[in-house]
Amino acid sequence: MASLRSASRLTTPARSLFRPAVRTYATISESGAPTAPTRNLVPPEETKTVKEPAPSKDAKIKTFHIYRWNPDEPASKPRMQTYTLDLNKTGPMVLDALIRIKNEVDPTLTFRRSCREGICGSCAMNIDGINTLACLCRIPTDTAKESRVYPLPHTYVVKDLVPDLTHFYKQYKSIKPYLQRDTKPEDGRENRQSRDDRKKLDGLYECILCACCSTSCPSYWWNSEQYLGPAMLLQSYRWLADSRDERKAERKEALENSMSLYRCHTILNCSRTCPKGLNPAKAIAEIKKSMAIGSSM
Amino acid sequence: MASTTRLGMLCARQFQASSRRVLLQPQSLRQSSTTLSQRIAPFSTTTQRKILPPGPQVVRGGVNEAAPVPPPQYVIIPRNNGTAVLSAMNTTSQLFSERAISVALIPLTLAPFAAGSLNPTTDALLVAGILVHSHMGFQQIITDYIPQWRMPGYRKLFDYALLLATLLVGIGFYEFETNDVGLTEAIKRIWHAGANDATVGKSDLNALGHDGKLKNLKE
Amino acid sequence: MSVNMFSQRALQTSMRRLALARPTTTTMRMISPAAIATGQIRPATSGPHANTVSVSSDEAYKLLAEQRVHRPVSPHLGIYQPQVTWYLSALNRITGSILSGSFYLFGFAYLVAPAFGWHLESASIAAAFASWPIVVKLLVKGTMAFPLAFHSLNGLRHLTWDMGAVLTNRQVQVTGWAIVVLSSISGLYLMFS
Repeated sequence: MASLRSASRLTTPARSLFRPAVRTYATISESGAPTAPTRNLVPPEETKTVKEPAPSKDAKIKTFHIYRWNPDEPASKPRMQTYTLDLNKTGPMVLDALIRIKNEVDPTLTFRRSCREGICGSCAMNIDGINTLACLCRIPTDTAKESRVYPLPHTYVVKDLVPDLTHFYKQYKSIKPYLQRDTKPEDGRENRQSRDDRKKLDGLYECILCACCSTSCPSYWWNSEQYLGPAMLLQSYRWLADSRDERKAERKEALENSMSLYRCHTILNCSRTCPKGLNPAKAIAEIKKSMAIGSSM
Repeated sequence: MASTTRLGMLCARQFQASSRRVLLQPQSLRQSSTTLSQRIAPFSTTTQRKILPPGPQVVRGGVNEAAPVPPPQYVIIPRNNGTAVLSAMNTTSQLFSERAISVALIPLTLAPFAAGSLNPTTDALLVAGILVHSHMGFQQIITDYIPQWRMPGYRKLFDYALLLATLLVGIGFYEFETNDVGLTEAIKRIWHAGANDATVGKSDLNALGHDGKLKNLKE
Repeated sequence: MSVNMFSQRALQTSMRRLALARPTTTTMRMISPAAIATGQIRPATSGPHANTVSVSSDEAYKLLAEQRVHRPVSPHLGIYQPQVTWYLSALNRITGSILSGSFYLFGFAYLVAPAFGWHLESASIAAAFASWPIVVKLLVKGTMAFPLAFHSLNGLRHLTWDMGAVLTNRQVQVTGWAIVVLSSISGLYLMFS
C-alpha cells in the first residue's frame, strides 16, 4: 500500500497535465490549493434546509439530503441540500418525493424521469448508497432515518441528479448492438430461431441501459474510458448468445484486450444492484468462459 | 476490485468528513478537537490530495460516434525450447493461465498443512507458483490503476519495474531454495520458534503436547 | 380531452409569461439602449427570459466541451453502501498485496543480504523471532495468517465464479459471509498454532 501511495505521488505531475489552466479558478479550497475535479461536497448542515410547505398535525416528516450542483455556477462546490417532506402527502416511491419537491418546494431541483414504471431507465440514481431507479425504489418509511440521494456514482454531473451518459452510449455503439449476418435467411424473409435458442436471450434482452450496474462497479469507476462495464458486457453477451448472429468471432476479437472485458474482477456489485433483477456478472462469466474455450492456448 | 490506494482515499475522505463534523460541535469540544486535528495535520499530507483523481470530462469524437475499441493485445513470451522463435499469447490465454496457476496452488497450499512441510521439488514448485501468481496479481493492479491511455510513461515504467522485481525476487528465492531449508520448512520453524504461543494466558503447561502445541488443537 | 388540457396549460403559461414580462418591458423602455449594450445595466430578466444567441453547431459544441470540463465527478467510494460484494473484493486484493508484498520483500532482501551482511537464513530468523515478545509474535503471525486464510478461501470463490457457477445474488452473499467466518476461524487457528 505504501508503495502504491508513493507511486501515485510520483504521478502527480502527469496528472496536472490533464487539468487545464482554466480549472484553477474554479475550485479554491480553504487551504488555497486547487482541488481535484472530484470536488468535496458541502455537507447538508452547511446548506439551507427546505421544509415541507404546510405540515399537518400527524405528519410523517422524512428528511431527504439531495446532491445539488448548478452548472451556471461552475466555480461552486457540489452540496447536499436538505428537504423535509410529509410522507402522508407523498407517493410511495422516491421519484414521487422528488417530483413533489420539484413541484411544491424547489423547482430548481433537476433530475431525469420519464415513464415512472421502471421501463425507461431515466431516473437511475444512487439512493441510500445503492444504485437503483427512483421510480422502483420505495421511500423507507422509517422517518428516523434520513435518506440520501446522489447521482450515479463516479459520473460527470450535468446538473444536480443528472449524470452525463455520453460515453456510456458511445460504448454501447462500439459493441455493435445489432444483428450482423452475412447470409440471407433461408426463406428469404425471416431469420428463424429455435425455442431453445430464443430462451438463451431471456435475462439479457430485458436490460434497459439505465447504467445502474456499470456505475456501481469500482472497476468501471477507475477505468470507464476503456473498460466496457457490466451493462455493455451484458449487451455484448446478448449478441454473442444470439443464434442468428454470424459475426461472433469479430465480436470476441473486439474483447480480446486487457481493458474491454478483462477489467471485470467479479466484484459482483452489478448483479446486486440491477433494478431489473438481471445478472450481468453471470453474462460476463459466460463471455469469459466462451473466450477461454474458443482461444487456442 | 477496489484497491489499497482507493481504500486509502476512502480513509482520507472519512477523516475529512469527521474533522468537518467536529467543527460543528460546541465551543468546548471544538477547542480540543482542533488541537487534535492540528496535531494530526502534519502527518496527513494525503488527506487533501486525492489519489489518481479523474480528470475533467473530455469526450473524444462526436456523441454519435462509437467509443474506440482497443486493438487486440498479444503478449510476446519466449518459448522454452531455447529457440529464438517467439510465440504470441493473447489476453484470454494469459488470464486462463492465471486461473490455471491459481488452481495448481490449491493442492500446493494444502499439502504443507497436511504433511508438515514439503520436499525440495514440491517446495520449489510452490515458490514458483506463488511468484508467478504474485506477478500476475501485481500486473492486474498496475493495469487497473495506471491506465495506459492516461499515463503511458508511468505505465511502461511500472510494467518494467515489476518485471525486474519479479526477476530479482525469483533469483533471490532460487538462492533461498538451494541454500536454505525451503519455504514451507522455514515458515514452520519460524512459526514454532522459541517460547510457545499456546501458553498465552495459560499457566497450565500440561495442556501442551511434546511439540509445545495445545493437545486439543492437534487433531 | 388531453389536447384540450394541453392547450389550456399552454394558454396559462403564456399568460403568466406576459404578466412577468410586462414590468421589465416598462423599465427597459426607460433605460437607454446604449447602457444595456455596453453592459452597464443588465436587464432584470434572467433565467428563462434570458436572451438567446444563435451559434453555429461548431461553436455550440465548443461551449459544451467547455462546460464538460467544469463538471464535478459524483461521489462514489465514500457514498456507496458497504456491501459484502465489493468489500470482500477489495479485501481480496489487499490481502493478496500483503502476502505477495511480503513474499517479494523477503525474496529481494534474501538476494541482497550478503552484500549488506544481513542474516536472513531461516535459522537466524527463527532465532530472532523466538526472542521477540509474545504479543509481537502473535501480531506478526496474525498479519500473515489472516490474509493467507482469507485470500486462499476467497480465491476458491473466485475460481468458482470464473466457471460461471454460484453467481446468484443470494449465493454470493451466503458464500461471502461464510468466507468471512471461515477465514476468521482458520486465521485464528493458524495464529495460535
